[in-house]
Formats: sequence, structure tokens, C-alpha cells
Amino acid sequence: MRRGLGIAVWALTAVAVLALYLLAPHLVSDFHSRDLAQAGVFFIAIVGLNILTGYTGQISLGHGALMAVGGYTTAALAVHEHWRDVWTIPLAGIAAGVVGFLIGLPALRLSGIYLALATFAFAVAMPSLLKKFSGLTGGGQGLRLLEQAPLQVTGLSGTVTVFGHSTTQNHFLYYLTWGIGLVAFVIAWLIVRGRLGRTFRAVRDSEVAAASVGIDLARTKTLAFAISGVYAGVAGALFAIQAEIVNPLSFTFLLSILLLVGAVVGGLGSLPGMVVGAFFVEYVPDLSTHVSSKPGVPDFIYGAAIILVMILLPTGAGGLLRRVARPLTTRLYLRP
Amino acid sequence: MTRTTHLILCALGALALATVASGAASETGITSSQVLIGGTTPLSGPASAYQSVAKGAAAYFRYIDAKGGVNKRKIKYVYKDDAYDPSKTADKTRELVQQDKVFAIFNSLGTEQNLATRAYLNAIKVPQLFVASGATTFGKDYKQYPWTIGYQPNYRAEGTIYGRYVAKTSPKARIGVLYQNDDYGKDLLAGLRNGLAKKAKLIVSKQSYDVEDPDVQSQVAKLKAAKVSTLMLFATPKFAIQSYVYAHKLGWKPTVYVNAVSSAANIMGLATAGTNKKQTEGSLSIVFLKDPTDAHWAKDPGVKLYRSIMKKYNGGNPNDVYAVYGMSVAHTFVAALKKAGKNPTRAGIMKAATSLNVTNDPFLLPGIAVKTSSTDHFPLDQAKLQRYHNGHWVSFGGLFRVR
Repeated sequence: MRRGLGIAVWALTAVAVLALYLLAPHLVSDFHSRDLAQAGVFFIAIVGLNILTGYTGQISLGHGALMAVGGYTTAALAVHEHWRDVWTIPLAGIAAGVVGFLIGLPALRLSGIYLALATFAFAVAMPSLLKKFSGLTGGGQGLRLLEQAPLQVTGLSGTVTVFGHSTTQNHFLYYLTWGIGLVAFVIAWLIVRGRLGRTFRAVRDSEVAAASVGIDLARTKTLAFAISGVYAGVAGALFAIQAEIVNPLSFTFLLSILLLVGAVVGGLGSLPGMVVGAFFVEYVPDLSTHVSSKPGVPDFIYGAAIILVMILLPTGAGGLLRRVARPLTTRLYLRP
Repeated sequence: MTRTTHLILCALGALALATVASGAASETGITSSQVLIGGTTPLSGPASAYQSVAKGAAAYFRYIDAKGGVNKRKIKYVYKDDAYDPSKTADKTRELVQQDKVFAIFNSLGTEQNLATRAYLNAIKVPQLFVASGATTFGKDYKQYPWTIGYQPNYRAEGTIYGRYVAKTSPKARIGVLYQNDDYGKDLLAGLRNGLAKKAKLIVSKQSYDVEDPDVQSQVAKLKAAKVSTLMLFATPKFAIQSYVYAHKLGWKPTVYVNAVSSAANIMGLATAGTNKKQTEGSLSIVFLKDPTDAHWAKDPGVKLYRSIMKKYNGGNPNDVYAVYGMSVAHTFVAALKKAGKNPTRAGIMKAATSLNVTNDPFLLPGIAVKTSSTDHFPLDQAKLQRYHNGHWVSFGGLFRVR
């Protein structure tokens, strides 16, 4: 009886999410569906960061650089190899996954704040690295898809036809990004609730205890970095497809910090909260320039907003969600 | 490349037509009482000092609107924050075109930032007017990008002026260059070589930095070690100030040529405050705007007008040369809009912007004209040299015209 109720609640939630996914771009103007698509990019990256930081306890300040790997993989394949932009997404994910695995290696020796610093160094070095290999990356100018590879850009004419349905480019980007976002979310959910997720949490809560029950720390940590890297890479690819440009200035260490802010505001250790985190990162900086555009004021308001969220919701939006949903879920899961 | 450009033009031209058609009889962004234009500027982030340009322009438009506008239309100018990030520029520009439906993009700031939107704007035939960057490509490549036009004297020309002056006045100089590692810095460097011509081997050391670098301490030390006597600072304000400070710390006092991007009086004031009067004394730069801090212009009607507009419509710092720049470029837009006639179209304003001959811009140095033609997309190509003396810039010599 209760089991049936539980399944019904899940089914209803799934249907509601799916309906929202399909309807959302029609509730806002065509251009704003592009904004939603950008929030989707942050969502994917932040979900990935959450697997690493929220569930495995490894702080990364280098995820902006992993997004750069994904974004540049997409742009370079389109410009140099004439791949159609959307088909580069899997490869961008794999490339960033490999890089994620590599920057995970120091994690075997470093922990906590020291690991954060090591990944931060990676983020700081990324723009210079991108300029160094200018043959591949276009140097300081970056790669401009619309100019250098117009035939590889999906939706160049303003509309995109998928399976016979014609839609605007902005709607297409929204459906593509959040479609991938939903799949990425489900995969993340399956990972964290399963055996691997338990291993991750064990490492987060106590490395000594985890090792003593036979968990391979090195394997677990590097795996978390690699999975997280794939998410960042896919997000970076979608970023490049939406902006139609990649440039070192778009992937400074600020992006890495922005992603961490998103994950913390969304609530580390909560996946649904990441939607809130993504919208925070996408919309709050813009809203703060609307309040006042006097020099320094937008940055100040954005900072104040982060502090306010941390004081009012120390566990992020995810913590709030859990608190609100607890009366319902405890009743559901109480076995008679 | 031409074939692919042609293809995008065709593909997106159709879209542009559809947009225009849906806007009924009149042009997008134009109503009987208003002209809507937009641009991007860094309101936040590391380059936010440049926002004074957009705010100066906005103040001038408000002044024009208060006087009745142009052909009874008020000019509404919206500027959006791109935080100096080219991907955001691309995004905000799309918002201006698709959501706000502006008539034209006006004076968006930054070299990479404007490069990021140029292909898009040209494909959909939206004017990219008077971009706030001196990169040569915005004026030079008009055949490929007919909807784009620059504004200020281009960086290559500026470099050429310095090169010629050094070759003429100190043919034995040991020249060292600090330049930003992008189109902007490289354009200036290429111009310098061009101006030095046969004397290009006077350049004994070239050091570059990246925008994200924290400082240029090691570059300055290397330039000193190369026994440089004439230092070219092709750098943005933060790094130009640092160069003065580090040179001072090393007890090194070369003759400094500081590019126009960083030679504003307020920037030089900071460099002097960080060192001493001797360190900045004798620095050289080019100038094309009236410097509101220069006592020479205290009674000038142009500077008086500037100050009254700042006071009434802006409220910001009236000693900010970037705001003068903003008013000058706004003045040029107004001239182009008048020229485009009673019912301006996008094609019409482009035609007007490329056939300008404005000799009455009150914010430019006397004698400088804003002049363009169908084959000349460089509105400003005249400048004077100026020397920093006793805490102020003093211009000298005649006007240079360099392409």
C-alpha cells in the first residue's frame, strides 16, 4: 500500500518534471529560452561538481578549466576538423573526463584546502595554456564558430528541424541542453544512490574508515574526478555551442568559483538543489546590475546575496528542500 | 572563406528579412518618437573602469533628447553588462537584437568583445556602429564586414606615430616594448615597426603579458636589464601604472611612450602618486580628445558643454577622459542619424556612417574631423603628440594623419 503510494509520488514527480521541461520555453519569450539554456549549462557542470565535492568530499576550484577543455574540444573539432557542433559533445565529455582524472591524481596525496589550492592553480593556468597553444586554440582571440566554421553551426538559419519538427534556434538550444541535463541528472542520481555512491560517501565521511573496510581510496577519488570531469566537459561543449565562441577570457578562475558558489547555494550533497544553484549563478549577477550599475555596486550586491543565502540557508537550497519534504517522505518510508 | 561567408549571409539574410517584415512598415527599433540603440560595456568585473564611456554617451543622448531629439525622435540607448567576457558580449548582443529589437549596436567596448559579435551582426545585417576599439580590422576589413565601422584612431596608426617620432628625434634609442598579448597589443607593435621602418632594429627587447596576469614586475625587470632607454607601454591602465611603479622601484627612468588607452589624466595621476613627479615627467602619448583637466581648455566651449552635460545628466567624475570619448562618439552617432534622413533604415544609417564629414565635434581637438567614405571606415585618423609635464599633458606639434 505505502509502496504503491511511493511509486505514485515518484511517477507524478517524473511526469511533472517532464511537463515542465517541455513547456518552460513556451512560458517565456523566445530569447529567454536561451537564458534558460545557459542555466542548463551551469546545471550540468554543478551536478558534476556536486558528485565530487558534495558526495566524495574533494573540493575542486578547477572546474572552470575542465569546462574550458570541453568547450575548446568542441570548437577545435568544428573549426579544424569540420565536425558538426552537436556531435562533438560526447568527445568533449571524454576529453574533460581524462583531464579530470589527471588532475585527480594529486588528490591522492593532498586533501582539503591543499587539494583546493592545487586545482585552483590549474584554473589560474588555463587561460595562459590556451594562449600558449594558439595554433589549436586561436590564442587570445579564441575560436569563433560563426565566423570560422559557419557550416558546422546548428541552427544557422535561425530554425532547426529535428525529426520533422521545426523549432527556433533558441528553443533548440534549450531542449538540447536541458534534455542532456535531465539525462545527466538521472545518471548522477543512479550513481549516488547505488554502490558507487556509498563508496563516495564513505570516502567523504572518513578516509580511514573507508580504507579499513577495503575501499580503494586512489581508485575512488580519481574515478570521482573523472566522472565530474565528464560533466564539466559536456557543459563546456554546450557552452561553446550556445555562445558560438570560445575565448580564454570566458574560462578564467572566476568561472570555477562561480560553479562552486552554485554548488554551495544549491546545497552540497543534494542533486535537485542544483537547479536552484544553476539559476542563482545564471540570474543573480544580471539582476544585480539591474539594481544599480554604479561602479562596484553589482559585484557588491552579488557578494551580499551569497552571504545572505549562506546565513539563511546554511545547507543551501537542497537543505531547504529536504526540510520541506521531510514530513512527506518520512511518512512514505516508514515501514509498518 | 568568401563562399562560406556568402552562405551565412544568404541563410541569415532570410531571417533578417522575416524580422524586418514582422516590424510592419517602419524599421526595427524606430518608432515615430524613438530610436532604440544598444551596446555592451563592462559594468562589473576587472575592466569596469571603461563603463564611463557608455555613461558619457548616455548623458550626451539625454542632452540631445532634452533639446527635442533628432527629427522629433528621442534616442534611447541601452547598455548591458558583459563583464569584459566575449562570450557574454555575444549573448548580450543577441539579447539586444532579438529581445529588445534595437535599431543598431552602438559603441560596444573591447577588441575581442566586438570580434565575438561581428560575424553575427553582419550576417543578420544589423549595423555595428563605431566600435570602442582601435583594432585595425574594424576599419580595414569592411569588404567582408560591411555592417561594421570603428571609431578612434587605430592602434596600428598610433604605433606608427610613435615609431616615426622616435626615428626622427632619437635615432640612437634602445627601444623596449611592453605589450598585451592579443590583437590590441600586437597591432600597436606592428605599427611601431612600420613607423620605425629601417630603424626597426632599435627595438632591443619585447615583453608581453596576458590580461589575466597579476602583474608585470618580471617583464619590467627584463626591459631594464636589456638597457632600454625608450620604453613603449602598449598596455591597459592597470599594467601601465604598474610599469611606472616597478621602474621607479628599480631606480630606472626611461623615456616612456604610453598608449592612448592608458594615458588619461586620471591614470597618469595614479602613476605619479605611486612613484613621484620625476618618474612620469616627459612621458609621451597621442591625444585626439580635449582633456577636461587641462587648464588650456578651461574656457573652451566644448569642455564647458561637456562639464554642464556631466553635471546635469551624468553625475559622475567630470575629470574622466573616457566620458569625453563617450560624448564624442555619441555626437558622431547623432550626426549620422541626422544624415540618414527622416525615415532612417539600417542600410541608410550605414550609408550615412560611411559618408561623414563632421568638423564641429566640440569634444575633439580643434582641426580633427570625423571623416569616412565608402572605402574609408576609419572615422578618426588624426591625432597630436603630447608630453606629460608638471602633472599635466601638453600637446605639441601639428596634427598627424596616419592610416
